[in-house]
Amino acid sequence: MVPLGTLGVNSIDASIGRSAKKAAAVENTMGGFEVFRKILSTALLTTALYAGAAQAKDTIVWWDFLGGGDGVRMKSMIEEFNKEHAGSVEIQATTLDWGVPFYSKVQTSAAVGQGPDMMTYHESRMPLGVSTGSLSPLSTDELKASGIQDSDFGPANWKAAQGPDGKQYGVPLDIHSIILYYNKTLLKQAGLLGDDGKPKGLDGLANWEAALAKLTTNGAVGLSVATADGGTIWRIFYTLLSQQDGVLLKDGKFLDGDNLGKATTAIAEMQKWVKSGWVPTKTEYPASIALFTSGKAAFHINGVWEVPTMVDLAKKGQLFDWGAIQIPAIYAHPATWADSHAFSIPNRQGNPVDPAKRKLVLDTIHWFNVHSLEWAGGGHIPAFLPVQNSAAFKALKPNSDYSSLATTAVFDPVSVLAGVASPVYDAAGNYVLPATNGEMVPADAAKQMRDDLQSQAK
Amino acid sequence: MLKSKRTEIAVALVLISPFLLIYGVLFIYPTVKMVQLSFTNAPLIGAGEWVGIKNFQRLSFDRLFISAIWNTVYFVVLSVIPSTLLGLVVALGVNRLKGWVQSFVLAAFFLPYILPVSVVFRVWSWMFDKDFGIAQNLIAPFNDGQHISIFRTVPLFMPAVAFVTIWWLLGFNVLLFIAGLRNISTEIYEAAALDGASRWTQFRRITWPLIWPVTVLVLTIQLILQLKIFDQVYLFANGGRADATMVVVQYIYKQAFQQSHGGLAAAASLVLFVVIAAFSILQFQLLRARGAT
Repeated sequence: MVPLGTLGVNSIDASIGRSAKKAAAVENTMGGFEVFRKILSTALLTTALYAGAAQAKDTIVWWDFLGGGDGVRMKSMIEEFNKEHAGSVEIQATTLDWGVPFYSKVQTSAAVGQGPDMMTYHESRMPLGVSTGSLSPLSTDELKASGIQDSDFGPANWKAAQGPDGKQYGVPLDIHSIILYYNKTLLKQAGLLGDDGKPKGLDGLANWEAALAKLTTNGAVGLSVATADGGTIWRIFYTLLSQQDGVLLKDGKFLDGDNLGKATTAIAEMQKWVKSGWVPTKTEYPASIALFTSGKAAFHINGVWEVPTMVDLAKKGQLFDWGAIQIPAIYAHPATWADSHAFSIPNRQGNPVDPAKRKLVLDTIHWFNVHSLEWAGGGHIPAFLPVQNSAAFKALKPNSDYSSLATTAVFDPVSVLAGVASPVYDAAGNYVLPATNGEMVPADAAKQMRDDLQSQAK
Repeated sequence: MLKSKRTEIAVALVLISPFLLIYGVLFIYPTVKMVQLSFTNAPLIGAGEWVGIKNFQRLSFDRLFISAIWNTVYFVVLSVIPSTLLGLVVALGVNRLKGWVQSFVLAAFFLPYILPVSVVFRVWSWMFDKDFGIAQNLIAPFNDGQHISIFRTVPLFMPAVAFVTIWWLLGFNVLLFIAGLRNISTEIYEAAALDGASRWTQFRRITWPLIWPVTVLVLTIQLILQLKIFDQVYLFANGGRADATMVVVQYIYKQAFQQSHGGLAAAASLVLFVVIAAFSILQFQLLRARGAT
């Protein structure tokens, strides 16, 4: 160590900053050099200790967009992770705004070499992330080194995280979809509840419509849907389209051939729900949930992410006897829109996540998949097959009542124009939403949606 | 003499150099870059190739951009003049109050102004909510007793957002007008009253001409502000028929941040920049000329 007495105050100042300034002030006023020396050595010692501690403990900077009921579960999982790895690894998590704000922030920060070490990412939005170079590819070897292998995931689910170059850009955490929530009391009154406590006789268009008509009484409507929300409208529309084997995008063409007719059929059906008074018109997202939870709607179609809302209300004794099942096969066969939350590493330009940190991040991703039973408490279906097939998950209610949807799940088309908060979502809001609410003819809505999306595809 | 003048210039340059530097780095440089960008096909991040005036050609055929311009103009008409007139009316009223009552009323009008736009959005989307909104009790009698979704019914959207905007920003206009009104000497009013001028004549012959410069200022500030409208329209339209009510800055945001069309977004920004500059100069000159005669 350099003898302190030989150093000028200025150089000390520069080396340890504020504490030295304070110490220098003390020296000036008190005049005792000993005091200064003591304080300074304490300050240096503390700094050294702090630096030592920081070296021993790695931090992972984490960004997510999980602001809903499932976000609360993610926070408790992160706490559990930090507790388990106390002294060695710590996740520093930040929750950002879902949708376009999240993805533009990721893109802009990656481009200037800033941003997190890892982040959540919708599989449906990966095409754009890959095309803008915001995501860092994960090699098979480094995945294997952390225990991550493709055979532990559903093939479609795993492949949805790949770019057009065939490289892997993310590791799936869950599959999430829309489900049919139901009020057992109202269904029983209408004779639509089976002995197993699940709704019966909903499959097929005629049965489905008859059920909605029967459940629409003076006090309640058959079904509540967020008819003022483009995202919800998109998920239902895509479900109905897929149940007829309709395809939104194929070979660069939107709603090509007879797919236009199928889209028109789907939109006309949604319009019929509203026109017949089975579904209230232009209902905002929170209001659509409130209609169901207050017993004013027998059915409610929404994402699995609202399961915690129901579970928590029921726990407080503020909810009737409820359940949730996969969306019935209204057309030819069962099929449901689905998306997947995945984990990715950003491609930070000029400041990449270093190899040791990458290994740590991938270990962390694997830890969250192994522990994803807790994440399933947020309503999601774990992507990690060992958990999805486990007895513990199969016993988890209500997830196990609808987890069958995973086998017939239909993911968003792979395109930079599709996915969360994309032009496709916007088009649902611009055309399908007004048609559903009776402000546009279904055939016109389908045509305009096709033309609009086609004009954006270059 | 010459030497001292030179020194003066040198001192002046030194004194204004911090401003020039900051202005150059934070305003001139990005503006030049934006103009350059508007002639390329650059994505949101990174460089692009020179494409000449292709972006501007594309804009002139883009139905969405043209409707965004009309929507913006419509919003300006709905918000700028009403908020200026209402600001003057409220200021005239507040000016007649005295003491703490005046401070209280002024604070009440100014309070919404300090709210962030997200809070304004939350407050009013619940007030107007179709199923649970308190304002529906006032609206329903005009719609055969039926509740109506204000922000998902296209013809109601812009007037409703303009109403919310006026409620939010009125306080600032009131403040400017009060400052203007206090500048008018009470002696003029006393003299007019002695001559038997009525309240209306006093307003028409004294207040209105003397407050005119402030009115021009308020109108210009509001015009520039509302041509750049984005936040409220974006928030209220999110998830709905956003294209039908899209405004210019929202179009720029959509192109740049959602679709990664940096060049096209820069071209649209440049068009808006020119429009705002032209409008404000024109308006300021016109109104000032009228006030002078």
